[in-house]
Amino acid sequence: MSDIEIVESLKRDLGAKALELANPDRRRIFLKVAPAELVPTVTLLRDKYDCAHLSTISGVDKGETFEILYHFASPVVGLTVRTEVPRAEPRFASICPVIPGAILYERELQEMFGVTVEGIPDGRRLNLPDDWPDGQYPLRKDWKHVRPEEVIPGGKS
Amino acid sequence: MNFQIPIGPQHPALKEPISLRMTVDGEVIVDADIRLGYNHRGLEKLAEEKTWLQNIYLTERICGICSHSHATCYVQGVEKLMELAPPRRGLYIRYLVSELERVHSHLLWLGVAGHEAGFDSFFMYTWRDREIVMDLLEMISGNRVHYAINTLGGVRRDIDEGQKAKILEGVATLRKRSEYYFHIGANEPSFVARIAGVGLLSKEDAIALCAVGPVARASGVARDVRKEDPCAVYDELDFELCTADSCDVLGRVVVRVKELLQSYNLIEQMVKGLPDGDIVVKAPRKAKPGEVVSRYEAPRGENIHYIKANGSDKPERLKVRAPTLGNYPATVLMLRKGFIADIPLIFAAIDPCICCAERTVTLVGARNGEESVVRMDDLRRQALARAKNAPVKGNAVWPF
Repeated sequence: MSDIEIVESLKRDLGAKALELANPDRRRIFLKVAPAELVPTVTLLRDKYDCAHLSTISGVDKGETFEILYHFASPVVGLTVRTEVPRAEPRFASICPVIPGAILYERELQEMFGVTVEGIPDGRRLNLPDDWPDGQYPLRKDWKHVRPEEVIPGGKS
Repeated sequence: MNFQIPIGPQHPALKEPISLRMTVDGEVIVDADIRLGYNHRGLEKLAEEKTWLQNIYLTERICGICSHSHATCYVQGVEKLMELAPPRRGLYIRYLVSELERVHSHLLWLGVAGHEAGFDSFFMYTWRDREIVMDLLEMISGNRVHYAINTLGGVRRDIDEGQKAKILEGVATLRKRSEYYFHIGANEPSFVARIAGVGLLSKEDAIALCAVGPVARASGVARDVRKEDPCAVYDELDFELCTADSCDVLGRVVVRVKELLQSYNLIEQMVKGLPDGDIVVKAPRKAKPGEVVSRYEAPRGENIHYIKANGSDKPERLKVRAPTLGNYPATVLMLRKGFIADIPLIFAAIDPCICCAERTVTLVGARNGEESVVRMDDLRRQALARAKNAPVKGNAVWPF
Protein backbone atom coordinates (compact mmCIF):
# COMPACT_ATOMS: atom_id res chain seq x y z
CA MET A 1 0.00 0.00 0.00
CA SER A 2 1.32 3.42 -0.86
CA ASP A 3 1.20 6.38 1.51
CA ILE A 4 -1.77 7.93 -0.29
CA GLU A 5 -3.76 4.71 -0.15
CA ILE A 6 -3.10 4.40 3.56
CA VAL A 7 -4.17 8.00 4.18
CA GLU A 8 -7.37 7.46 2.18
CA SER A 9 -8.09 4.22 3.96
CA LEU A 10 -7.51 5.84 7.36
CA LYS A 11 -9.89 8.64 6.42
CA ARG A 12 -12.59 6.10 5.61
CA ASP A 13 -12.02 4.07 8.78
CA LEU A 14 -11.72 6.89 11.25
CA GLY A 15 -13.96 9.55 9.72
CA ALA A 16 -14.36 12.49 12.06
CA LYS A 17 -12.24 10.80 14.74
CA ALA A 18 -9.11 11.70 12.79
CA LEU A 19 -8.62 15.29 13.92
CA GLU A 20 -5.60 15.77 11.69
CA LEU A 21 -4.05 13.55 9.07
CA ALA A 22 -0.82 14.59 7.40
CA ASN A 23 1.68 12.95 5.09
CA PRO A 24 4.63 15.37 5.21
CA ASP A 25 7.25 13.02 3.88
CA ARG A 26 7.60 9.71 2.09
CA ARG A 27 6.72 6.76 4.38
CA ARG A 28 5.70 9.09 7.21
CA ILE A 29 2.12 9.75 8.38
CA PHE A 30 1.00 11.86 11.32
CA LEU A 31 -2.45 11.22 12.76
CA LYS A 32 -4.14 13.10 15.58
CA VAL A 33 -6.96 11.68 17.69
CA ALA A 34 -8.73 12.64 20.91
CA PRO A 35 -7.40 10.95 24.09
CA ALA A 36 -10.60 8.91 24.44
CA GLU A 37 -10.13 7.46 20.94
CA LEU A 38 -6.55 6.37 21.56
CA VAL A 39 -7.01 2.71 22.44
CA PRO A 40 -9.57 1.96 19.68
CA THR A 41 -7.34 3.69 17.13
CA VAL A 42 -4.25 1.78 18.21
CA THR A 43 -6.21 -1.49 18.04
CA LEU A 44 -7.37 -0.64 14.53
CA LEU A 45 -3.82 0.22 13.44
CA ARG A 46 -2.48 -3.01 14.87
CA ASP A 47 -5.12 -5.25 13.35
CA LYS A 48 -5.72 -3.65 9.99
CA TYR A 49 -2.56 -1.70 9.14
CA ASP A 50 0.08 -4.07 10.54
CA CYS A 51 1.35 -1.35 12.89
CA ALA A 52 2.12 -3.77 15.72
CA HIS A 53 5.59 -2.40 16.27
CA LEU A 54 5.67 0.55 18.64
CA SER A 55 9.02 2.26 18.28
CA THR A 56 8.59 4.60 21.21
CA ILE A 57 6.28 7.10 22.89
CA SER A 58 7.42 10.67 23.30
CA GLY A 59 5.90 13.62 25.08
CA VAL A 60 6.17 17.34 24.43
CA ASP A 61 5.30 20.08 26.90
CA LYS A 62 3.30 22.65 24.92
CA GLY A 63 2.43 24.90 27.83
CA GLU A 64 -1.33 24.50 28.28
CA THR A 65 -1.29 20.92 27.04
CA PHE A 66 0.95 17.91 26.81
CA GLU A 67 1.30 16.33 23.42
CA ILE A 68 1.83 12.57 23.49
CA LEU A 69 3.15 10.92 20.35
CA TYR A 70 3.06 7.18 19.68
CA HIS A 71 5.54 6.25 16.98
CA PHE A 72 4.42 3.09 15.19
CA ALA A 73 6.07 1.35 12.31
CA SER A 74 4.63 -1.07 9.80
CA PRO A 75 6.77 -2.65 7.08
CA VAL A 76 5.66 0.04 4.63
CA VAL A 77 5.12 3.20 6.63
CA GLY A 78 6.06 4.97 9.86
CA LEU A 79 2.88 6.15 11.53
CA THR A 80 2.79 8.60 14.41
CA VAL A 81 -0.41 8.91 16.44
CA ARG A 82 -0.61 12.03 18.53
CA THR A 83 -3.02 13.17 21.17
CA GLU A 84 -3.18 16.19 23.43
CA VAL A 85 -4.16 16.18 27.09
CA PRO A 86 -4.72 19.35 29.17
CA ARG A 87 -2.02 20.22 31.65
CA ALA A 88 -4.64 20.69 34.39
CA GLU A 89 -5.81 17.11 34.09
CA PRO A 90 -3.23 15.03 32.24
CA ARG A 91 -4.87 11.60 32.03
CA PHE A 92 -5.17 9.07 29.25
CA ALA A 93 -5.57 5.32 28.96
CA SER A 94 -2.74 2.83 28.77
CA ILE A 95 -2.26 1.01 25.48
CA CYS A 96 -0.50 -1.92 27.18
CA PRO A 97 -3.51 -4.28 26.76
CA VAL A 98 -3.13 -3.81 22.99
CA ILE A 99 0.65 -3.39 22.69
CA PRO A 100 2.37 -5.06 25.68
CA GLY A 101 5.74 -3.62 24.62
CA ALA A 102 4.59 -0.10 25.50
CA ILE A 103 5.10 -0.56 29.23
CA LEU A 104 8.56 0.98 29.60
CA TYR A 105 7.70 3.99 27.48
CA GLU A 106 4.53 4.67 29.48
CA ARG A 107 6.43 4.44 32.74
CA GLU A 108 8.94 6.94 31.38
CA LEU A 109 6.16 9.34 30.37
CA GLN A 110 4.63 9.25 33.84
CA GLU A 111 7.81 10.16 35.66
CA MET A 112 9.14 12.69 33.15
CA PHE A 113 5.94 14.68 32.47
CA GLY A 114 3.76 13.96 35.49
CA VAL A 115 0.94 12.56 33.38
CA THR A 116 -1.27 9.73 34.58
CA VAL A 117 -1.52 6.66 32.41
CA GLU A 118 -4.72 4.97 33.53
CA GLY A 119 -4.64 1.21 33.81
CA ILE A 120 -0.88 0.85 33.46
CA PRO A 121 0.11 -2.64 34.65
CA ASP A 122 3.22 -1.40 36.44
CA GLY A 123 3.31 2.25 37.46
CA ARG A 124 6.73 2.44 39.10
CA ARG A 125 9.38 4.90 38.05
CA LEU A 126 11.67 3.88 35.25
CA ASN A 127 14.77 6.06 35.24
CA LEU A 128 14.48 8.40 38.19
CA PRO A 129 15.85 7.24 41.54
CA ASP A 130 13.67 5.91 44.34
CA ASP A 131 14.33 8.97 46.51
CA TRP A 132 13.41 11.47 43.79
CA PRO A 133 11.03 14.07 45.31
CA ASP A 134 7.37 13.84 44.33
CA GLY A 135 5.96 16.49 42.02
CA GLN A 136 9.26 17.08 40.17
CA TYR A 137 8.91 16.29 36.48
CA PRO A 138 12.17 16.95 34.63
CA LEU A 139 10.97 17.19 31.04
CA ARG A 140 8.36 19.84 31.75
CA LYS A 141 9.54 23.15 30.36
CA ASP A 142 9.18 24.98 33.67
CA TRP A 143 11.44 22.51 35.47
CA LYS A 144 14.99 23.76 35.95
CA HIS A 145 17.79 21.79 37.42
CA VAL A 146 19.17 23.31 40.60
CA ARG A 147 22.41 21.79 41.74
CA PRO A 148 22.11 20.93 45.42
CA GLU A 149 24.53 22.72 47.70
CA GLU A 150 27.61 20.69 48.37
CA VAL A 151 27.91 19.46 51.91
CA ILE A 152 31.35 18.45 53.04
CA PRO A 153 31.17 16.16 56.04
CA GLY A 154 33.04 17.84 58.92
CA GLY A 155 33.05 21.21 57.14
CA LYS A 156 35.80 22.82 55.12
CA SER A 157 39.18 22.82 56.75
CA MET B 1 10.47 -20.91 48.26
CA ASN B 2 11.35 -17.89 46.17
CA PHE B 3 14.28 -15.56 46.70
CA GLN B 4 15.29 -12.33 45.05
CA ILE B 5 18.75 -11.83 43.64
CA PRO B 6 19.89 -8.30 42.93
CA ILE B 7 22.30 -8.00 39.98
CA GLY B 8 24.14 -4.80 39.23
CA PRO B 9 24.08 -1.88 38.81
CA GLN B 10 27.71 -0.99 39.24
CA HIS B 11 29.87 -0.98 36.18
CA PRO B 12 31.45 2.40 35.63
CA ALA B 13 33.24 1.45 32.43
CA LEU B 14 30.03 0.94 30.48
CA LYS B 15 27.35 3.22 29.26
CA GLU B 16 24.19 2.31 31.09
CA PRO B 17 24.70 0.18 34.16
CA ILE B 18 21.35 -1.25 35.12
CA SER B 19 20.11 -3.30 37.97
CA LEU B 20 18.28 -6.58 37.65
CA ARG B 21 16.22 -8.31 40.32
CA MET B 22 15.82 -11.99 39.73
CA THR B 23 13.25 -13.95 41.66
CA VAL B 24 14.55 -17.49 41.76
CA ASP B 25 13.26 -20.80 42.91
CA GLY B 26 16.38 -22.86 43.32
CA GLU B 27 18.25 -22.51 40.06
CA VAL B 28 15.24 -21.51 38.00
CA ILE B 29 14.35 -17.87 37.42
CA VAL B 30 10.68 -17.31 38.21
CA ASP B 31 10.57 -13.63 37.46
CA ALA B 32 12.93 -10.88 36.43
CA ASP B 33 12.66 -7.16 36.95
CA ILE B 34 14.81 -4.50 35.32
CA ARG B 35 15.59 -1.33 37.22
CA LEU B 36 16.99 1.36 35.00
CA GLY B 37 18.35 4.78 35.73
CA TYR B 38 21.57 4.16 37.59
CA ASN B 39 23.39 6.13 34.96
CA HIS B 40 20.54 8.34 33.81
CA ARG B 41 22.16 11.51 32.47
CA GLY B 42 19.21 13.72 31.62
CA LEU B 43 20.43 13.98 28.07
CA GLU B 44 17.08 14.87 26.51
CA LYS B 45 16.78 17.88 28.81
CA LEU B 46 20.37 18.88 28.10
CA ALA B 47 19.79 18.71 24.34
CA GLU B 48 17.18 21.46 24.64
CA GLU B 49 19.87 23.85 25.80
CA LYS B 50 22.42 23.14 23.08
CA THR B 51 22.51 24.31 19.47
CA TRP B 52 21.79 22.07 16.50
CA LEU B 53 25.50 21.67 15.82
CA GLN B 54 26.51 21.02 19.43
CA ASN B 55 23.88 18.31 19.68
CA ILE B 56 25.65 16.16 17.07
CA TYR B 57 28.50 15.72 19.50
CA LEU B 58 26.12 15.24 22.39
CA THR B 59 24.14 12.49 20.67
CA GLU B 60 27.36 10.84 19.58
CA ARG B 61 28.15 10.37 23.25
CA ILE B 62 24.95 8.46 24.01
CA CYS B 63 26.71 5.21 23.23
CA GLY B 64 30.33 4.15 23.27
CA ILE B 65 30.02 1.29 20.78
CA CYS B 66 27.48 2.49 18.26
CA SER B 67 28.25 6.19 18.63
CA HIS B 68 27.89 6.81 14.90
CA SER B 69 24.35 5.42 14.84
CA HIS B 70 22.95 8.07 17.18
CA ALA B 71 24.80 10.90 15.48
CA THR B 72 23.59 9.71 12.06
CA CYS B 73 20.02 9.29 13.24
CA TYR B 74 20.04 12.83 14.65
CA VAL B 75 21.78 14.37 11.65
CA GLN B 76 19.50 12.81 9.05
CA GLY B 77 16.50 14.11 11.00
CA VAL B 78 17.87 17.64 11.35
CA GLU B 79 18.81 17.72 7.66
CA LYS B 80 15.16 17.03 6.86
CA LEU B 81 14.09 19.84 9.20
CA MET B 82 16.56 22.27 7.61
CA GLU B 83 15.64 21.04 4.10
CA LEU B 84 19.26 20.30 3.31
CA ALA B 85 20.30 17.90 0.58
CA PRO B 86 23.75 16.53 1.44
CA PRO B 87 25.98 15.69 -1.55
CA ARG B 88 25.96 12.05 -2.57
CA ARG B 89 29.64 11.57 -1.86
CA GLY B 90 29.07 12.80 1.69
CA LEU B 91 26.19 10.37 2.17
CA TYR B 92 28.21 7.45 0.85
CA ILE B 93 31.03 8.20 3.28
CA ARG B 94 28.54 8.57 6.14
CA TYR B 95 26.93 5.19 5.54
CA LEU B 96 30.29 3.60 4.79
CA VAL B 97 31.29 4.49 8.34
CA SER B 98 27.91 3.09 9.49
CA GLU B 99 28.64 -0.28 7.96
CA LEU B 100 32.20 -0.36 9.28
CA GLU B 101 30.76 0.38 12.69
CA ARG B 102 28.28 -2.48 12.33
CA VAL B 103 31.18 -4.80 11.49
CA HIS B 104 33.17 -3.76 14.55
CA SER B 105 30.12 -4.02 16.80
CA HIS B 106 29.13 -7.48 15.55
CA LEU B 107 32.70 -8.77 15.80
CA LEU B 108 32.85 -7.46 19.36
CA TRP B 109 29.57 -9.17 20.13
CA LEU B 110 30.62 -12.49 18.58
CA GLY B 111 33.66 -12.46 20.81
CA VAL B 112 31.51 -11.81 23.87
CA ALA B 113 29.14 -14.60 22.90
CA GLY B 114 32.04 -17.00 22.52
CA HIS B 115 33.42 -15.92 25.87
CA GLU B 116 30.11 -16.35 27.69
CA ALA B 117 29.63 -19.77 26.13
CA GLY B 118 33.09 -20.83 27.28
CA PHE B 119 34.73 -20.70 23.86
CA ASP B 120 37.53 -18.28 24.57
CA SER B 121 39.64 -18.92 21.50
CA PHE B 122 36.69 -17.68 19.44
CA PHE B 123 36.74 -14.52 21.53
CA MET B 124 40.44 -13.98 20.95
CA TYR B 125 40.19 -14.52 17.19
CA THR B 126 37.26 -12.16 16.67
CA TRP B 127 38.75 -9.43 18.82
CA ARG B 128 42.03 -9.68 16.95
CA ASP B 129 40.14 -9.17 13.70
CA ARG B 130 38.12 -6.34 15.14
CA GLU B 131 41.39 -4.37 15.26
CA ILE B 132 41.47 -4.40 11.45
CA VAL B 133 38.17 -2.57 11.22
CA MET B 134 39.04 -0.27 14.13
CA ASP B 135 42.20 0.73 12.25
CA LEU B 136 40.16 1.41 9.13
CA LEU B 137 37.81 3.63 11.11
CA GLU B 138 40.72 5.47 12.63
CA MET B 139 42.22 5.98 9.21
CA ILE B 140 38.96 7.41 7.82
CA SER B 141 37.89 9.57 10.75
CA GLY B 142 40.93 10.03 12.95
CA ASN B 143 39.22 8.38 15.93
CA ARG B 144 38.60 4.86 17.09
CA VAL B 145 35.41 5.33 19.11
CA HIS B 146 33.70 8.66 18.57
CA TYR B 147 34.33 9.15 14.88
CA ALA B 148 32.82 12.65 14.73
CA ILE B 149 32.55 12.34 10.98
CA ASN B 150 28.98 13.61 10.70
CA THR B 151 28.08 17.22 10.36
CA LEU B 152 24.90 18.95 9.28
CA GLY B 153 24.81 18.68 5.51
CA GLY B 154 27.37 15.95 4.99
CA VAL B 155 30.58 14.66 6.53
CA ARG B 156 33.73 16.33 7.78
CA ARG B 157 36.42 14.27 6.07
CA ASP B 158 36.95 12.96 2.58
CA ILE B 159 38.62 9.69 1.65
CA ASP B 160 41.26 9.30 -1.06
CA GLU B 161 42.30 6.50 -3.41
CA GLY B 162 44.92 5.05 -1.05
CA GLN B 163 42.37 4.82 1.73
CA LYS B 164 39.87 3.16 -0.58
CA ALA B 165 42.44 0.48 -1.45
CA LYS B 166 43.17 -0.10 2.23
CA ILE B 167 39.47 -0.48 3.05
CA LEU B 168 39.00 -3.05 0.30
CA GLU B 169 42.07 -4.94 1.42
CA GLY B 170 40.92 -4.97 5.06
CA VAL B 171 37.41 -6.10 4.12
CA ALA B 172 38.79 -8.93 1.96
CA THR B 173 40.78 -10.22 4.95
CA LEU B 174 37.78 -9.89 7.25
CA ARG B 175 35.50 -11.69 4.83
CA LYS B 176 37.86 -14.65 4.63
CA ARG B 177 38.14 -14.82 8.41
CA SER B 178 34.39 -14.42 9.02
CA GLU B 179 33.67 -17.28 6.65
CA TYR B 180 36.10 -19.35 8.67
CA TYR B 181 34.25 -18.45 11.90
CA PHE B 182 30.99 -19.42 10.28
CA HIS B 183 32.61 -22.76 9.51
CA ILE B 184 33.92 -23.13 13.10
CA GLY B 185 30.53 -22.25 14.59
CA ALA B 186 28.86 -24.83 12.42
CA ASN B 187 31.36 -27.57 13.21
CA GLU B 188 31.89 -27.16 16.93
CA PRO B 189 29.13 -29.22 18.57
CA SER B 190 29.88 -28.11 22.13
CA PHE B 191 29.45 -24.45 21.17
CA VAL B 192 26.20 -25.10 19.32
CA ALA B 193 24.87 -27.27 22.15
CA ARG B 194 25.60 -24.55 24.73
CA ILE B 195 23.71 -21.83 22.90
CA ALA B 196 20.85 -23.80 21.32
CA GLY B 197 17.55 -23.55 23.15
CA VAL B 198 18.75 -20.86 25.58
CA GLY B 199 16.73 -17.66 25.95
CA LEU B 200 13.71 -18.59 23.89
CA LEU B 201 11.58 -15.81 22.44
CA SER B 202 8.76 -16.85 20.15
CA LYS B 203 7.86 -14.85 17.07
CA GLU B 204 4.50 -13.79 18.56
CA ASP B 205 6.20 -12.51 21.70
CA ALA B 206 8.89 -10.71 19.73
CA ILE B 207 6.18 -8.83 17.83
CA ALA B 208 3.99 -8.14 20.87
CA LEU B 209 6.89 -6.88 22.97
CA CYS B 210 8.24 -4.73 20.13
CA ALA B 211 11.67 -6.36 20.03
CA VAL B 212 14.12 -4.84 17.57
CA GLY B 213 17.20 -5.71 15.58
CA PRO B 214 18.96 -9.08 15.60
CA VAL B 215 16.84 -10.24 18.57
CA ALA B 216 13.65 -9.84 16.52
CA ARG B 217 15.25 -11.17 13.35
CA ALA B 218 16.46 -14.28 15.16
CA SER B 219 12.82 -14.94 16.08
CA GLY B 220 11.78 -14.84 12.45
CA VAL B 221 10.55 -11.23 12.33
CA ALA B 222 11.99 -10.02 9.04
CA ARG B 223 12.32 -6.32 9.77
CA ASP B 224 15.20 -3.99 9.15
CA VAL B 225 15.00 -0.21 8.92
CA ARG B 226 17.52 -0.27 6.11
CA LYS B 227 14.96 -2.18 4.01
CA GLU B 228 11.72 -0.68 5.34
CA ASP B 229 12.64 2.95 5.51
CA PRO B 230 15.82 3.16 3.45
CA CYS B 231 17.60 6.37 4.31
CA ALA B 232 19.58 8.02 1.55
CA VAL B 233 21.77 5.32 0.02
CA TYR B 234 20.45 1.93 1.11
CA ASP B 235 17.83 1.67 -1.63
CA GLU B 236 20.60 1.86 -4.24
CA LEU B 237 22.63 -0.93 -2.69
CA ASP B 238 22.13 -4.63 -2.89
CA PHE B 239 21.95 -6.61 0.35
CA GLU B 240 19.88 -9.27 2.00
CA LEU B 241 17.88 -9.20 5.18
CA CYS B 242 19.21 -11.91 7.49
CA THR B 243 16.84 -13.89 9.69
CA ALA B 244 16.82 -17.12 11.65
CA ASP B 245 13.88 -19.01 13.04
CA SER B 246 15.37 -20.91 15.97
CA CYS B 247 14.30 -18.07 18.36
CA ASP B 248 17.25 -18.65 20.74
CA VAL B 249 20.82 -17.50 21.31
CA LEU B 250 21.98 -19.73 18.47
CA GLY B 251 19.71 -17.83 16.11
CA ARG B 252 21.07 -14.51 17.33
CA VAL B 253 24.63 -15.68 16.62
CA VAL B 254 23.67 -16.88 13.14
CA VAL B 255 21.89 -13.60 12.31
CA ARG B 256 24.89 -11.55 13.32
CA VAL B 257 27.41 -13.66 11.41
CA LYS B 258 25.23 -13.42 8.30
CA GLU B 259 24.89 -9.67 8.77
CA LEU B 260 28.66 -9.36 8.94
CA LEU B 261 28.94 -10.92 5.50
CA GLN B 262 26.21 -8.60 4.18
CA SER B 263 28.02 -5.59 5.63
CA TYR B 264 31.20 -6.54 3.77
CA ASN B 265 29.16 -6.58 0.56
CA LEU B 266 27.75 -3.15 1.36
CA ILE B 267 31.18 -1.71 2.15
CA GLU B 268 32.64 -2.99 -1.10
CA GLN B 269 29.71 -1.63 -3.10
CA MET B 270 29.99 1.78 -1.45
CA VAL B 271 33.77 2.06 -1.84
CA LYS B 272 33.68 0.95 -5.48
CA GLY B 273 30.71 3.15 -6.36
CA LEU B 274 31.78 6.23 -4.42
CA PRO B 275 30.49 9.23 -6.41
CA ASP B 276 32.62 12.29 -7.11
CA GLY B 277 31.83 15.74 -5.83
CA ASP B 278 31.63 17.67 -2.60
CA ILE B 279 31.23 16.05 0.77
CA VAL B 280 29.29 18.76 2.57
CA VAL B 281 26.91 21.67 2.03
CA LYS B 282 26.64 24.63 4.34
CA ALA B 283 23.94 24.31 6.97
CA PRO B 284 21.91 27.21 8.34
CA ARG B 285 22.18 28.10 12.01
CA LYS B 286 18.44 27.86 12.68
CA ALA B 287 15.73 25.44 11.66
CA LYS B 288 12.15 26.34 10.76
CA PRO B 289 9.45 25.17 13.19
CA GLY B 290 8.54 21.60 12.45
CA GLU B 291 8.97 18.06 13.57
CA VAL B 292 10.58 14.96 12.20
CA VAL B 293 10.90 11.29 13.12
CA SER B 294 14.20 9.75 12.13
CA ARG B 295 14.87 6.00 12.14
CA TYR B 296 18.12 4.20 11.64
CA GLU B 297 19.21 0.58 11.90
CA ALA B 298 21.96 0.53 14.51
CA PRO B 299 23.96 -2.66 15.04
CA ARG B 300 21.61 -3.50 17.92
CA GLY B 301 18.38 -2.66 16.14
CA GLU B 302 16.09 0.19 15.36
CA ASN B 303 17.17 3.54 16.68
CA ILE B 304 14.59 6.32 16.65
CA HIS B 305 14.89 10.07 17.27
CA TYR B 306 11.95 12.45 17.40
CA ILE B 307 13.08 16.03 16.83
CA LYS B 308 10.89 19.11 17.17
CA ALA B 309 12.09 22.56 16.15
CA ASN B 310 10.65 25.90 17.27
CA GLY B 311 12.44 28.22 14.85
CA SER B 312 15.46 28.96 17.04
CA ASP B 313 18.96 27.55 16.91
CA LYS B 314 18.10 24.96 19.55
CA PRO B 315 15.69 22.01 19.44
CA GLU B 316 12.39 22.29 21.26
CA ARG B 317 12.48 18.59 22.02
CA LEU B 318 14.77 15.69 21.22
CA LYS B 319 13.52 12.24 22.10
CA VAL B 320 15.96 9.38 21.79
CA ARG B 321 15.12 5.71 21.99
CA ALA B 322 18.11 3.44 21.83
CA PRO B 323 17.59 -0.14 20.62
CA THR B 324 18.61 -1.74 23.91
CA LEU B 325 15.62 -0.18 25.71
CA GLY B 326 13.31 -1.62 23.07
CA ASN B 327 14.65 -5.09 23.82
CA TYR B 328 14.27 -5.04 27.60
CA PRO B 329 10.64 -6.25 27.79
CA ALA B 330 11.63 -9.19 25.58
CA THR B 331 14.69 -9.91 27.74
CA VAL B 332 12.55 -10.23 30.86
CA LEU B 333 10.55 -12.89 29.06
CA MET B 334 13.69 -14.69 27.86
CA LEU B 335 15.08 -14.83 31.38
CA ARG B 336 11.90 -16.34 32.84
CA LYS B 337 12.07 -20.11 33.22
CA GLY B 338 15.77 -19.96 32.48
CA PHE B 339 18.62 -20.87 34.80
CA ILE B 340 20.74 -18.49 36.85
CA ALA B 341 23.72 -19.86 34.99
CA ASP B 342 22.22 -18.72 31.68
CA ILE B 343 21.82 -15.06 32.74
CA PRO B 344 25.17 -13.92 31.30
CA LEU B 345 24.52 -15.68 28.00
CA ILE B 346 20.94 -14.46 27.59
CA PHE B 347 21.86 -10.95 28.59
CA ALA B 348 24.84 -10.83 26.30
CA ALA B 349 22.69 -12.14 23.47
CA ILE B 350 20.63 -8.96 23.25
CA ASP B 351 23.97 -7.16 22.93
CA PRO B 352 23.18 -4.63 25.61
CA CYS B 353 25.16 -1.43 25.61
CA ILE B 354 25.46 -2.07 29.29
CA CYS B 355 27.21 -5.12 30.53
CA CYS B 356 26.12 -4.46 34.03
CA ALA B 357 26.18 -8.18 34.56
CA GLU B 358 29.98 -8.24 34.73
CA ARG B 359 30.36 -7.03 38.31
CA THR B 360 29.00 -8.84 41.32
CA VAL B 361 25.90 -10.82 42.03
CA THR B 362 24.51 -11.64 45.44
CA LEU B 363 23.25 -15.17 45.51
CA VAL B 364 20.83 -16.22 48.18
CA GLY B 365 20.79 -19.94 48.83
CA ALA B 366 17.26 -21.25 48.55
CA ARG B 367 17.67 -23.74 51.37
CA ASN B 368 19.65 -21.94 54.04
CA GLY B 369 19.03 -18.30 53.13
CA GLU B 370 22.75 -17.54 53.22
CA GLU B 371 23.97 -14.68 51.08
CA SER B 372 27.11 -15.01 49.08
CA VAL B 373 28.66 -12.48 46.77
CA VAL B 374 30.07 -13.94 43.58
CA ARG B 375 31.64 -12.34 40.57
CA MET B 376 30.02 -12.80 37.18
CA ASP B 377 33.07 -14.83 36.13
CA ASP B 378 32.26 -17.35 38.83
CA LEU B 379 28.70 -17.50 37.61
CA ARG B 380 30.04 -18.19 34.16
CA ARG B 381 32.20 -20.96 35.54
CA GLN B 382 29.13 -22.46 37.21
CA ALA B 383 27.35 -22.19 33.89
CA LEU B 384 30.12 -24.10 32.16
CA ALA B 385 30.11 -26.76 34.86
CA ARG B 386 26.37 -27.16 34.50
CA ALA B 387 26.59 -27.37 30.74
CA LYS B 388 29.31 -29.99 31.02
CA ASN B 389 27.03 -32.28 32.99
CA ALA B 390 23.98 -31.63 30.87
CA PRO B 391 23.25 -34.11 28.12
CA VAL B 392 24.57 -32.81 24.81
CA LYS B 393 21.72 -31.64 22.66
CA GLY B 394 22.42 -34.06 19.86
CA ASN B 395 19.79 -32.59 17.58
CA ALA B 396 21.15 -29.03 17.77
CA VAL B 397 22.80 -28.18 14.49
CA TRP B 398 24.04 -24.98 12.94
CA PRO B 399 21.36 -23.87 10.45
CA PHE B 400 23.03 -23.38 7.09
